[in-house]
Amino acid sequence: MLLERVALSNFRNYAELDLELAPGLNVFVGANAQGKSNLLEAIAMLGTGKSFRTNHDADTIRTGFELAVVRGEATVRAGGVALACAIAKNGRGTRKTYTLNGRDVRYANFLGKLRVVTFVPSDLQLASGAPGVRRAFLNAALAQDEPRYYRELARYRKTVAQKNALLRGTVAPNPELLEVYDRTLVESGTQLMLARDRFVRALAEAARDAHARFTVGAETLEVAYDPDVAFEAPTSDAVAAAFDARLRDVVESERARKSSVAGPHRDNLRLTLDGTSLGAYGSQGQQRTAVLALKVAEYSVMRERAAEAPLLLLDDVLSELDGERAAAFLRSVGDYEQAFVTATHVPSDLRGDARLYRIDGASVRAQAVA
Amino acid sequence: MAGPVAALINEFSKLPTVGPKTAARLVFYLLNRPRHEAQSLAEAILRVKDRVRFCSVCHCLTESDPCDLCTDPDRDAATICVVAEAKDVYAIERTGAFKGRYHVLGGLISPMDGIGPAQLHVKELVERIGQQSPHELIIATNPNAEGEATALYLSRLLQPLGTKVTRLAYGLPIGGDLDYADEVTLAKALEGRTTL
Repeated sequence: MLLERVALSNFRNYAELDLELAPGLNVFVGANAQGKSNLLEAIAMLGTGKSFRTNHDADTIRTGFELAVVRGEATVRAGGVALACAIAKNGRGTRKTYTLNGRDVRYANFLGKLRVVTFVPSDLQLASGAPGVRRAFLNAALAQDEPRYYRELARYRKTVAQKNALLRGTVAPNPELLEVYDRTLVESGTQLMLARDRFVRALAEAARDAHARFTVGAETLEVAYDPDVAFEAPTSDAVAAAFDARLRDVVESERARKSSVAGPHRDNLRLTLDGTSLGAYGSQGQQRTAVLALKVAEYSVMRERAAEAPLLLLDDVLSELDGERAAAFLRSVGDYEQAFVTATHVPSDLRGDARLYRIDGASVRAQAVA
Repeated sequence: MAGPVAALINEFSKLPTVGPKTAARLVFYLLNRPRHEAQSLAEAILRVKDRVRFCSVCHCLTESDPCDLCTDPDRDAATICVVAEAKDVYAIERTGAFKGRYHVLGGLISPMDGIGPAQLHVKELVERIGQQSPHELIIATNPNAEGEATALYLSRLLQPLGTKVTRLAYGLPIGGDLDYADEVTLAKALEGRTTL
């Protein structure tokens, strides 16, 4: 897929911007705080509908304004698409609206029309952070990949929230209602677990290969799905039976703890290097290389599943990596269709088809590669 | 801003979906209309409050108790359609396709909002089924998380009573375009396909 144009209106530090983008590598170069990451954030929002930097959408609206809009025109396998995401101040919060080809659509129908793989400095948390960081990574990738996944996730989360409220005693205790919620959890949770299992299998293989290339086979990276509810086989029946049995087992402890204690909302993604935990024992360098491999794997799995290359977005990652790793990374995703990279300095050994954009105080100017 | 104008803007902006800007527009519109129009609006609002009650049988809105829908001899008492809100009764009535009776729950189960079965007219439904033993109960709650949970809960609760419990079908909107249907709706429509 190819993003041909992005237009911003009162988004972050941009008043108005209308920018044509090139296939291949697009490099946004500029000093800090000029708007490089803001531009990348806007592009990512066209894919995921969310900011990769904040959960507080109001931050994306230019100071003193009420409405920020990000528009994009892209060519995907199915044809041309026009996407827009608008963030409007609404009382104390914000309201986001999405349009696809000029029609207002719901988030679930906007998500994943333009697929993006982002790699930002905070992704290094994937190795060292809590399981929630890795679950968020799985959810973000799968939600773009399978429309059904996002809906099941939303349904699952809502049901957990309702069940927790019931367990906390916001309404009279009701074992039958608890069973209704458990039944829904088993139904949607099974879908989540199966999707994660399939995705991680593909991811593990690609990550192991990428990691072997980075380390010249010195160490083996193993990526494994670590579900909270263990199951015998990745089939609907086996997973549903395991989850159902587990929920029955924990009825008493859930009542005591007033909270849902079992299910995919407690899953993990296990990363090990030659059999030892990367988060607990890996050096910074090892963690960094592993995350790099994971991101390359995410990219290649998404490309394979959609039979179309997603957009690759790298925010200030090249500067985080030493020259050799950065070069290895760009080589390893060398067959990307379109990539967007921010950097404070023009990277050395740019491909011939790269296009350079100088960003200075929210003005963007295309420049030939020297 | 003058007192009465500000006061009315304030009143309007308490209404759902009405913000301060819309409220101001409504007020200035009314200021430009003749007095009798404003009076009939004010009276209509008061009439609703004074006269409209909930039917003691189906809990729908009514001026007489039991309501016209519950007392109409041409309506089939053996089929009861269960809905969340009174407005859903009007939606189904507009179709003209249903000739049974209704039961309004008064909301959907949502512990997050402090609404459990005890806060809804669920007990009354069970009693009603016990007294009237209908053939079929059609659950017509919204196809969202709360609607689904409520439907599942009711079907569980009512199973022992031996009444047939059905649920509205999921599917494609008529006149819609397959192309524009979202994937989940389309998948549900496939699951619920019927023989021609």
